[in-house]
Amino acid sequence: MSVTVAAPSTAHEVEEHSHHKPHWFFHYFWTYDHKMIGLQYLWTALFFLFIGGGLALGVRYQLGFPGAKVPLIGQFLPETLAIDGVIAPGGYNMLVTMHATVMVFFVVMPLLIGAFGNYLIPLKIGAGDMAFPLLNELSYWLYALSGVIVIAAFFVPGGGPASGWTAYAPLSTVASYTGAGAGQSLWAVAIFVNGLSSIAGATNYITTIVNMRAPGMKMFRLPLSVWALFVTAILLIIAVPVLSAAGAMLFFDLNFGTNFFVPIRDGIVTGGQPLLWQHLFWFFGHPEVYIMILPAMGLVSEVMPVFARKPIFGYKAMVIAMVAIGVLGFLVWGHHMFVSGMNVTLSAVFSFSTMFIAVPSAIKTFNWLGTVWKGSIEFTTPMCFALAFVSMFVIGGLSGIFMASTPVDLFIHHTYFIVAHIHYVLFGGSIFAIFAAIYFWFPKMFGRMFNEPLGKVHFFLTFIFFNMTFFPMHNLGLGGMMRRIADPTIYTHLQQLQPMNQISTIGSIGLGLTLIPFFWNIFWSLRNGPKAPNNPWRATTLEWTVSSPPGHGNFPKTPVVHNGPYEYSVPGMEKDYLMQTEVAPEGAQLEAH
Amino acid sequence: MSSAAITSHETEHHGAPPSTCRFGMIIFLLSEAMLFAGLIAAYIVVRGAHQGEWPPTGAPDIGVQWPLTGLNIVMIVNSILLISSSVTFHFAEAAVKKGRSGLLWLFVTIALGAVFLTVQGWEWMHLRHEGMWFPVFSSAEHQYDIFGIYGSTFFAITGFHGMHVLVGLMLILWCALKQMFTNCFTPQRHAALENVGLYWHFVDVVWIVVYTALYVV
Repeated sequence: MSVTVAAPSTAHEVEEHSHHKPHWFFHYFWTYDHKMIGLQYLWTALFFLFIGGGLALGVRYQLGFPGAKVPLIGQFLPETLAIDGVIAPGGYNMLVTMHATVMVFFVVMPLLIGAFGNYLIPLKIGAGDMAFPLLNELSYWLYALSGVIVIAAFFVPGGGPASGWTAYAPLSTVASYTGAGAGQSLWAVAIFVNGLSSIAGATNYITTIVNMRAPGMKMFRLPLSVWALFVTAILLIIAVPVLSAAGAMLFFDLNFGTNFFVPIRDGIVTGGQPLLWQHLFWFFGHPEVYIMILPAMGLVSEVMPVFARKPIFGYKAMVIAMVAIGVLGFLVWGHHMFVSGMNVTLSAVFSFSTMFIAVPSAIKTFNWLGTVWKGSIEFTTPMCFALAFVSMFVIGGLSGIFMASTPVDLFIHHTYFIVAHIHYVLFGGSIFAIFAAIYFWFPKMFGRMFNEPLGKVHFFLTFIFFNMTFFPMHNLGLGGMMRRIADPTIYTHLQQLQPMNQISTIGSIGLGLTLIPFFWNIFWSLRNGPKAPNNPWRATTLEWTVSSPPGHGNFPKTPVVHNGPYEYSVPGMEKDYLMQTEVAPEGAQLEAH
Repeated sequence: MSSAAITSHETEHHGAPPSTCRFGMIIFLLSEAMLFAGLIAAYIVVRGAHQGEWPPTGAPDIGVQWPLTGLNIVMIVNSILLISSSVTFHFAEAAVKKGRSGLLWLFVTIALGAVFLTVQGWEWMHLRHEGMWFPVFSSAEHQYDIFGIYGSTFFAITGFHGMHVLVGLMLILWCALKQMFTNCFTPQRHAALENVGLYWHFVDVVWIVVYTALYVV
């Protein structure tokens, strides 16, 4: 009945299509193939996940058991971090700073944008590659370079940066305050280079999505993940350069004696403004929050219709909501600064604009619920992670409303309530979506199926330990526990809460151990998993029309798109899904045109 | 609506089509604009909140005043040179489109840009002579004062702009040398030249904003 336009019947055809096999160096390390670049990002960022996770365990261990020797690795820690195997207060600050920096810039962004953006965009829009393949590879290597620089910060005199990932001035701009002048400088350089990589990538994504769609792939036939990455790329283009400028100024302040963020130097009033850093940082920093959640929303929106066997609920509303979140994201940065002494009227404005973001976010949440509502849900590992994403995002989103309200924020600002919030949206949100996406596209990326029971084990353990780690932080914060203190037990009002800190720490160790079933599954399945068919999930988008993994150049013949991306359980059709490249049979009632 | 997909073989061997390159360049310049927007916004904020004299007492004055100072005249002429280099680049493009080499205009553009950079360097040295320089580079004989944010913003913004001029010059030089030895820009194919032009015009427009903010207002 239906005609598949572009699908090669066997993987063999594609093999023939890729005419030459490049030298291994040009295959794995210097390649113009967007799929390999996506995988470079994937593996590098997963490596950084270990580093960022290890740093987090250091933080949690110190908070749960302050003053205790770090087991196993304590004696090997450098003196800037630990003294006699016990984490020093200054070392604790370095751990906190580097954990957040690594997770934000070297794990979540590269995974969501670098890995899945690169791998999926050309495949999903029916293009052979990105618009600028060389720029694409440069963007990866700039990312890798910035990673080396940020790790190097640990090994310079004075140790790593210790002013928090937000690098608030003047803590960050005067080396003697934290003792980490060189480390902080390297941090600024790493952020600058990382920014170049982001800008290069974002330029490529926008250009590719606008110019290289296959015939018939109208903007409103784009899968939501592509839409999400498109909006994200625009946010990157506008927000990241401002951070680069701020990072450069920070670097100049530290090394050339300029005074952008230093109000007084050597007893002389300079006119520099610490608050300026906060404005510049959060002008970037708040869109950054959406940079890290929008692609996650997009990826989850791909997974849910497939396993609910239903079209996504309200496709256009989803797109408009993402654009609205992107636009509003630029108007809310002041809500990070309610306690900075900012003008009160301005606080009210930022408070209102922040609460307004709840509207498009709620539209998305209800549309996901609408998508699974009365669907025939298959609880596969990716679907479990996607559903967990929605529920955890709701918790994180609701606690965000608390902070949007200035009077409430005055109470919870700089407490563990904020830490709980950020981890519910960034781990419960972004990282759960990343796991969903890794499992979902694993068959496409590597041509093998993963082990489903092991995936379930990974899911349930992650879900339990995640909540065990981060839920108590809400209570700790409301109980008055401040952020960025190395030892809660020295405060009388926090001593009674210490058991909660210990529960959280034990949870975090469990969370670290859940990576074992995850990586076991990946590495075992890479060799031993059953061969993946072209379309194991019976999904509709273009990447599932080609072999797993797709060959060089992706599509043997340029695909022609006839339908929207979410035609599941179409009334009037025998098969319960309609590929984007298939012509709808007579009498089928399609969701979109 | 959507254009035909391009296979990776085509992109590898011929590069993306001119319209796509142009689009990408414009997106990139948008991010460049945000970089300068960040710097200049910072300048506006710190200067707006600055207490006391501007420029601070003892600091050399770069601002335009009447009657014009020597430094004023130098920098006005320098600005005119940079802006006219945009015009000469345009002539080079027009020449290429008519089938000529455009080399002469390309080299005139390079010369104008190089003069601009040299004068900018001279201005930095001049200010150094007046005592405005980075204190970290102070030696035993020379004690410098950066005069707070006045010097910080001046050196950072003109420095960032100068780096962009330098990159632009190298790009134009690359175009000129390519044209000289391979004659690669023809009326049909000159996308790279066009993109370098976009970048060069952008750098000039940024200078107008920078000049207005730092020297005039």
